Amino acid sequence: MSASRNILATIDMIQKEHLDVRTVTMGINLMECCGSNVQETCRKVESKIISVAGSFVGICDEVGKTYGIPVVNKRISITPIVHIGASFDRYGFIELAKALDRAATTVGVDILGGFSAQVEKGMTATDLEYIASLPEAISTTGKICASINIATTKKGINMDALKLVGQTVKDLAENTKENDGFGAAKFVVFCNQPGDNPFMAGAIHGLEEADVVLNVGVSGPGVIARALDRIIKNVGCANLRLDDLAEEIKQTTFRVTRCGELIGRRVSEKLGVEFGVVDLSLAPTPTIGDSVGEIFQILGVDDVGAPGSTAILAMLNDAVKKGGVFASKTVGGLSGAFIPVMEDAVLADAVEKGSLSLEKLEAMTCVCSVGLDMVPIPGSVGADTISAIIADEMALGMINQKTTAARLIPVPGKKAGEHVSFGGLFGASPILPVNNIGKSKRFIEWGGRIPAPIHSFKN
Amino acid sequence: MEKQMVISVMSKDRPGIIADVTGVIYELNGNLADLKQSVLCGYFTMILMVSFGDDITAGEIAEKISSVESETRLEVVVKDFVGTLDSGSVIGSNIYVITAQGANKNGLVARMGRLCFAYGINILDFDTAVSDGLYSMILHVDLAGVASLDDIYMAVEDFGREVELNVVMQHIDIFKATSDISL
Repeated sequence: MSASRNILATIDMIQKEHLDVRTVTMGINLMECCGSNVQETCRKVESKIISVAGSFVGICDEVGKTYGIPVVNKRISITPIVHIGASFDRYGFIELAKALDRAATTVGVDILGGFSAQVEKGMTATDLEYIASLPEAISTTGKICASINIATTKKGINMDALKLVGQTVKDLAENTKENDGFGAAKFVVFCNQPGDNPFMAGAIHGLEEADVVLNVGVSGPGVIARALDRIIKNVGCANLRLDDLAEEIKQTTFRVTRCGELIGRRVSEKLGVEFGVVDLSLAPTPTIGDSVGEIFQILGVDDVGAPGSTAILAMLNDAVKKGGVFASKTVGGLSGAFIPVMEDAVLADAVEKGSLSLEKLEAMTCVCSVGLDMVPIPGSVGADTISAIIADEMALGMINQKTTAARLIPVPGKKAGEHVSFGGLFGASPILPVNNIGKSKRFIEWGGRIPAPIHSFKN
Repeated sequence: MEKQMVISVMSKDRPGIIADVTGVIYELNGNLADLKQSVLCGYFTMILMVSFGDDITAGEIAEKISSVESETRLEVVVKDFVGTLDSGSVIGSNIYVITAQGANKNGLVARMGRLCFAYGINILDFDTAVSDGLYSMILHVDLAGVASLDDIYMAVEDFGREVELNVVMQHIDIFKATSDISL
């Protein structure tokens, strides 16, 4: 009887609540592909990706079909590209991006991440050429995502790099202005970037990783929301307290994570590739019913951004981690709740109503993964203000010893309140107003570094 | 020399049936290899796999068990086992679980049985229940003999539409993953 109940509970989760595995991401080390010139390196990079990942998409689909749980995205992450293109100029990096795009298209993955650099303490000549290549490399390719780590808790914030990436975000948006600045949605700036994150745009295959590794991103905000609806309906609001709801989230996350672990392990076995980690993140999609914002409403705030939202997010993030950590042999990546504005219909609605501001989003990122994600801002916001917004987000990660990130999209020619839509998983939202534009220029002009914080006297 | 016997027992349920039956088996120096027991609507049924010495017959075993004195009569069938013993485990790459839920009506089990037979699906376990007016069938099935998994998925979906039940087929590993501690 107990077995039957478990079976029917699982069927509810899979069929009625659309459980899927959000991504299986194959991490590939490309260090052996460094050639004596750009052409040779590009050839070796394409060759390795095609030889390692040739059957990857087919096997993911086959395993998904066997278990009746689809793998929505099949992705590749690579060694941060500056290591492969050491000594290349910007044009060399652009050629590398095109080679990666061709390889990703050949093997049929949705996205390839790792067109990346880690410059938290200083920048080499190669790093500078890499940054200079980004606007063209990302706007002229289809499947390539870029990320740059400019801060860590142990090294501080590289403010010289920060100044450059503010302008890079502007240039990326401008290069893709016919598409509302979509290029900026494929570039993310990190503090404490993990090397095993399967989610885009920030996936990389860290130097500490094995040659080829599979990482799985489970998701399921819709599954959590429906589980909460069910317990509230069955038990009644009057008989429930927040710790009961946290327990329900924890147990549901356990089940969701186990499905991701199972699919990941089976794909690994079939490919003969090491299984890396399960990333426990709750990643919403614009689909109705697949929203993290909806969970806020169920847990008691009428609109996301209302007082209490940060506390709810703290509880949600923690319950997800607690359920997932026990469910999986190895967890990693970002592992928390995402609040990407454009990719979550309820968050976008809160922006429309004026209840969710950039400042409140920033506060909420103190207690969740990852940061200011998919936030459209007016195209008139200058590079110095964008750099300063990113600086604030980096400081949160640096001091709190967590990953934070910023993916801001200054939408060319559009003002606060106007709408922007990228379609598909990238979603749509009204543009958020930015306060105090142009008032941080002198701060950004300093350059240099914000030193690493002290690791004691924590109050 | 030992021989394997399959023993089936049915009775109105009461405490002590398992003690009575296995007590007789012990007296006859039988070695119990496997047992499945269930109670449905107050009736007890049990099937056992037992090895005995070759000096005893199926008829003698049935007579011994049937003659146990109690307030209920034990109906016993004993057969010589034909075939090879396996572990009895349902864990394997071809084991799926079919669930069907909806309004109860006549003939649902028969139609499910016909569907499975038509596609070469071997039913390992079949459970039905009614809870809060919702009728549920849960089947563990072995798809080792089927030609195409796609065809089965489609047939199960069509069947659900025909009988107006929510019918779902899912690999058994999913249920192990979501309910068991170890994977």
